[in-house]
Amino acid sequence: MNSILFLVLRRMRAPLITLIISYAIAVLGFTLMPGTDGAGKPWQMSLFEAFYVVSYTATTIGFGELPYTFSTAQRLWMTFSIYLTVIAWFYAIGKIIALIQDPALRQAMTTLRFSRAVHRLHEPFYIVCGYGETGSLLVGALDRKGIRTVVLDINPDRINELELQDYQADVPCLCADVRLPEILLQAGIQHPMCKGVAALTDDNHANLAVAVTVKLINPQLPVLCRAEDDTIAANMASFGTDHIINPYQLFGEHLAMEMHSLGTYLLHEWLTGVPGTSLPTPACPPQGKWVVCGYGRFGKSVVRNLQREHMQTVIIEADPELTGCTDCIVGSGAEAHTLLEAGIQKAVGIVAGTDNDINNLSIVMTALELNPKLFVVVRKNRRHNAPLFRQFNADITMQPSDIIAHECLAHFISPMLAQFLKLARGQDNAWANRLISRLVEVVGETVPETWDVTISGEQAAAVVNRLGHGRPLSLGSLLRDPANRLDSLPLVPLMLLRGSQPMLLPSPETLLHIEDRILFCGTREAKNTLPLLLRNRKVLDYVIDGIEVPDSLVWRWLSSQANRLVNKKPPG
Amino acid sequence: MNLEKVVFGFFIVLAMTLNFGFFIGDMADPEFHHPYELFAAIVVNLIATVLKFGDRTQIGAIHLSTSLVADLQLITAAVVWAAVSGMGPEVPPSVMVSIVSLSGGAFLANVTSVVLLIIETIMLRR
Repeated sequence: MNSILFLVLRRMRAPLITLIISYAIAVLGFTLMPGTDGAGKPWQMSLFEAFYVVSYTATTIGFGELPYTFSTAQRLWMTFSIYLTVIAWFYAIGKIIALIQDPALRQAMTTLRFSRAVHRLHEPFYIVCGYGETGSLLVGALDRKGIRTVVLDINPDRINELELQDYQADVPCLCADVRLPEILLQAGIQHPMCKGVAALTDDNHANLAVAVTVKLINPQLPVLCRAEDDTIAANMASFGTDHIINPYQLFGEHLAMEMHSLGTYLLHEWLTGVPGTSLPTPACPPQGKWVVCGYGRFGKSVVRNLQREHMQTVIIEADPELTGCTDCIVGSGAEAHTLLEAGIQKAVGIVAGTDNDINNLSIVMTALELNPKLFVVVRKNRRHNAPLFRQFNADITMQPSDIIAHECLAHFISPMLAQFLKLARGQDNAWANRLISRLVEVVGETVPETWDVTISGEQAAAVVNRLGHGRPLSLGSLLRDPANRLDSLPLVPLMLLRGSQPMLLPSPETLLHIEDRILFCGTREAKNTLPLLLRNRKVLDYVIDGIEVPDSLVWRWLSSQANRLVNKKPPG
Repeated sequence: MNLEKVVFGFFIVLAMTLNFGFFIGDMADPEFHHPYELFAAIVVNLIATVLKFGDRTQIGAIHLSTSLVADLQLITAAVVWAAVSGMGPEVPPSVMVSIVSLSGGAFLANVTSVVLLIIETIMLRR
């Protein structure tokens, strides 16, 4: 605020001084000019009268000749004053208007408004740097989950796009370069409510700069970074970046996961999806020989993961030297003869992974003509090509932005979710399938809400109170519906964390301890109802014992008397 | 030598001296206090205020506030005078005293301003 005021004052110096001097000259002149009053006696204006006349003249209001008709000398001076003061006024007004339109001032005002909006946030929020495809997906998903975000992007068009978006909550945004530490400070990396930073710009160096800044200024703050380059990723890791997301590597891992354990993959997709969207039907990649076109970052990751799943792979690459490919067929893959040479007719699947969308589509079209039964994995690079890919309808379309957004969501929704997914990857497919069927039974076929709860005075006062009185409480009692204790809430406890000891899918008989952390997954209604159970003693008592505890002291006393009477009554 | 500093110092000192010129003399007697002196003091004070705009330092802030105080007092004196002169040809001594004492207050503020200017100059040692 101060800086803007000072900027305005400094710029207004010259016009204000011009105005003061021109007024002073005009006022002084009027008091010196000889005139006559109504009765024809000599009269000169007092300073106040002169100031009055100059004030209405300079502002072009013009009341006329007051209090008496002017003499020729006064009129001469008036003519001079009009030009002097009116020009000074126009100069001052012009300067003010120019100042309002000044880009530096406007930028200062926008920045000020932004940092105020961030300062006023009183709920946990995440900073998203880069509002491209990934950023917009992530911000949208977080908004749907009711999590606040603050957005930074260097491109003004994207900020305009964001301002036009219809989000539930206000998203403070600023068009600025995230490489400047000051900008990140304004975005709130030192704000007590800031829960994390996601650096998702398409510039690896900018992402690195964000990671470095955050880790130096506020080392506790989790940072998620997108990095498509191994050296940059290593650099980020050396600064303690909490999670480095390489979309190509991730896609390779996901593809492998889809192959050997579809259930786990599905679970992953489901828990990190945007709530309310329907569950995508999974594709199951076949086992056998695969043809991979393009051996760039994406192709390498796919090949590595396919080979780990013991698939036979044939690589087609246009520029083997650049990509460091030793054993491959040279060609773009769009021509039939290279595909035939690669043995497309005996292959079960094709991966079109070049960085050119049109090439990728052309590769799979040609391949499908040669072998219509192929399983098709195609890489999509540009968002504006989405209609083409939708029309084509490949078995799997790889979109880097989707993958990164899902990964960020997993970390942002709850750090426990990321841990759970990691543990889930270690379980077998049957386990994942069982869990999925249970989730479908409880929450239906749409993407559920996922959230965590800490058994603490703040989040679960009633539970802590009960445990403090030495009355044990099992996890199962938290799953009952406060409206009717015989019904159960549509939610599933996924994991219980005691200290650092995780418990996957804890059974309802598990006894709760203070400071336990539980990861739940369920419908939005269940998420809204659960706090009632955790915080309201009365509701908790009803759900566990089936007794409505009276609210007031008098009723409590009366009911205890009544109980005593009932107990005293002799049998029969 | 810096022309900006010369102008700045000139207006601040001039504001004080003009103010002093108006203030000095028998408080109740209008003969000693000419309206033009007050007018000049106000104009120069306003210019001095504007010159002090936009300095972010602590001493700059105090400078500005002393000038604002002087403006306020002098303008109040002028308003009182203008209001009273409308009632009759002569200014009553009681009102003259209050006009002059208001300008006396403004003078004190102007002195503070000049003292600050001197302190600043001494601290600079260049």
